[in-house]
Amino acid sequence: MDQQIISRYLEQPAELPAAVRSRIEESFGGEPVQLYGLADLDHSLQLKESWLALGPRHVALARPDAKGSWNVRAVERSDIRAVQDAPGLSANTLSLLGAPNEPPLAVVRYTQRQRGAFENIRFVLEESLAGRTVATDDADSVYAEAVARPVRDAQALVANRRTAVILRLLAYLKPYRTQLTLGFSAAAVSTLVSLVPPYLAGYVIDQVVRPAQSGGLDRSVASRIAWMAVSAMAVLFVVREAAALVRLRLMSVLGEWVARDLRAELYEHIQRLSVAFFSRKKTGSLITRVTADTDRLWDFLAFGVVDVSLSVVMLLGLSVVLLVLDWRLGLVMTVPVPLFIYAIYWHGESLQRLFIRAWRKWSRVTDVLSDTIPGIRVVKAFNQEGREIVRFDERNDDVTDEFNRIHRTWTTFWPALMFFVHATTVLVWMFALPRLLGEGSALSAGVFVSFLLYATMFINPIEMIGQMARTMNRATSSAHRVFEVLDSKPEVQDRPAPVRLTPVRGAVRFENVTFAYDGVRQVLRSISFDVAPGELIGLVGPSGGGKSTIVNLIARFYDVSGGAVKIDGVDVRALDTGHYREQLGMVLQDPYLFHGTVLENIRYGLPHASLGEVIAAAKAANAHDFVCKLGQGYDTMVGERGHTLSGGERQRVSIARAILHNPRILILDEATSSVDTETEREIQEALERLIAGRTVFAIAHRLSTLRRASRLFVLEDGKLAESGTHRELLGKHDGIYRRLYELQLQLQ
Amino acid sequence: MELTSTTELPAHPIKARAPAFSLRRAVDGRLVAMTATGSVAVRLRQCFPWSEPRMHLSLRDEEDNEIALIEDPASLDPDSQRALEDALAEAGFVLEVTHVLDIDEEVEIRHWTVETKQGRRTFQTHLDDWPRLLPSGGRLIRDVGGDLYHLADPKQMDKRSRELLWAFVD
Repeated sequence: MDQQIISRYLEQPAELPAAVRSRIEESFGGEPVQLYGLADLDHSLQLKESWLALGPRHVALARPDAKGSWNVRAVERSDIRAVQDAPGLSANTLSLLGAPNEPPLAVVRYTQRQRGAFENIRFVLEESLAGRTVATDDADSVYAEAVARPVRDAQALVANRRTAVILRLLAYLKPYRTQLTLGFSAAAVSTLVSLVPPYLAGYVIDQVVRPAQSGGLDRSVASRIAWMAVSAMAVLFVVREAAALVRLRLMSVLGEWVARDLRAELYEHIQRLSVAFFSRKKTGSLITRVTADTDRLWDFLAFGVVDVSLSVVMLLGLSVVLLVLDWRLGLVMTVPVPLFIYAIYWHGESLQRLFIRAWRKWSRVTDVLSDTIPGIRVVKAFNQEGREIVRFDERNDDVTDEFNRIHRTWTTFWPALMFFVHATTVLVWMFALPRLLGEGSALSAGVFVSFLLYATMFINPIEMIGQMARTMNRATSSAHRVFEVLDSKPEVQDRPAPVRLTPVRGAVRFENVTFAYDGVRQVLRSISFDVAPGELIGLVGPSGGGKSTIVNLIARFYDVSGGAVKIDGVDVRALDTGHYREQLGMVLQDPYLFHGTVLENIRYGLPHASLGEVIAAAKAANAHDFVCKLGQGYDTMVGERGHTLSGGERQRVSIARAILHNPRILILDEATSSVDTETEREIQEALERLIAGRTVFAIAHRLSTLRRASRLFVLEDGKLAESGTHRELLGKHDGIYRRLYELQLQLQ
Repeated sequence: MELTSTTELPAHPIKARAPAFSLRRAVDGRLVAMTATGSVAVRLRQCFPWSEPRMHLSLRDEEDNEIALIEDPASLDPDSQRALEDALAEAGFVLEVTHVLDIDEEVEIRHWTVETKQGRRTFQTHLDDWPRLLPSGGRLIRDVGGDLYHLADPKQMDKRSRELLWAFVD
């Protein structure tokens, strides 16, 4: 898919061209290319293509010469003494430096688009300079992943042809074939029946009214036929509206069913996706897909599909009927129809442009609101209310002008269009009148009346077909957004017949674990340790050292890049992930409470726990007292994300939730870092009750909170730099832990 | 990483008005700041790339610590100014759009095809990302990969470009 994205969107090679690869590998003495990047700027900062490739022992730079062939220059990796990266606004320079005071071995320049690929190369070279070897995946996929990633993160699919998307969407109607057939039939009946009354009107005028008026038909016979025609018309109208009712009822319900199915499939799939997916997608965008997009698809399936297809049928049917009734007048009426349809289409496209401009200005209005309402205290503190009001008013006026421009456009277009439609009718009159008065070929009054009635029926289908492009665009766009999620594969998947540990004892073993979020740059390097059941392990070290990655791997939010994480001797990848996570608990720095009562939040992991068990857990978490003081005790609603509670209260509710869940392995991620000292003491007490008898991994920056840990793992730069008890680590004179600890003591 | 010639750095950033300070391009291509106590390889950062691109230039070492702030390059000697000029061209480089050839929308992204002073380029922006108005009156577009595209004066562009840009700039 990454290669497809590059080819389709970025107008650059999706992989190293074969001719260049072959020249480079030749210069490597037959060794393969391990990594490469496209340097898309030349020395004078013009967009030109050259390639930097890395082999096991060489680096090569391939540049096109004046004749169009590739000029390859390779250097030994062992000659590289330093790698320098100079980032700019849009141009980056990577220099491979050789001996001091010598010209650089290679200098390449590239735009931000190529940055990921060159960061991979730089990382591998720097690791190599530090004496470490990095195993890389397939060079083509690493390059494609790095270059395509920003586009993929923005839109995780290559947009398909519109027809393919619509067909895929229509496949969701399959389970409801019967209702669909009935709905379509009802719509067809309603449409076809609409064609009969104008014909009847013409028939009555020509075959009944005029003969009766001229004495050619007996009045009683004429009256009987006329009343039969009127009755038939009444029956037709009843049939038409009954069919319309059936169609509307069936199709709207059917659309809802399909939307429900899509929402269910989408939500179920979202729940199965890995954490990595959620770090790429904005929450709001996912919520929109489950709500607004499925709703738009309901509209399309319930009405769009039928309306558009029947409009086409109706328009063709009307054209045929008019041409059969009178081909000359029929031509006058039908020839302008494609022009009207195009005019409506063109109007839609023009409006789209106006809407983009209006949306842009609308976003400037919402920018002011989203800046100043959450930041109202800053606005007031700096006495900037007046300035903000002026800023808002300017933008508000601006957007109003844009919307008024839109109103001016559509209010001009539709009357103008209707004028031309009516002009066609006038034209029909102009052609018809002489013939009605006896000049040229004969035209009966009845046929003319039928004709005029049919002519009025053109408007709706013309409008519908004119807007078809927009309807299809909106539907395919929503369908794409839904299918984008449905087509995303979870990075973490269970194997067939996974192992269930009942219960988990809590032995955790890291065997030479390496991990890279992007497949190349390792955030954990050859980490190995053994943790016995019931141990409390403190994870400490500078930010970015790999502490959170370790707990993410224990929870199997990600799979290791190399080595293995074993729980009770079983590789975590072989476990039934859901069952395993039931025995895993997490208390996070910013505890997440769901919209609901305190009771529901504590019982989240164990919905059938008794009220007594809930109180016991709350007491153990030092939460019972403050919960009882809430207006409605455990039945108090805590509001969205629990924001009606203080940070310390939310934390204690989350600890109660973890205690009730009774996990065998517990992860505490900065559980006390954002609370005051008194609250911290209460939380610390609660945590001590929680951790008893479990294997615990606790991340803390405040080192004093980890003094009771069985062992401390000090992580620095992705490596396990030190391990031991608090006392042992303090005993190391040049130790990292000792330095961090003393630094914190000084700050206190 | 080893530097060409590194000595101890001063505790506080040097103001470029200090006469003892100069800049050179080293043989290996790097920009080197030379002080009375030694020399160090530096990178250039513009403090105000759009408000005042040629003034207030921050020189930073390999660890991204500022070692000098040049308020006005005119205060440097001519050789230093020349060395700085090259570095400034690289650090402040953005793609200069001369013609807009096409703007199209897809599911989540907007595709732009443009002609720049540096060559033809296709790029993508998020649907809710709009060209940013710069203090100079120009516009700046940032694509999903982080590259910047500068439109110096959209009103002076050709008719087709102006039509395509109409919805995106005032």
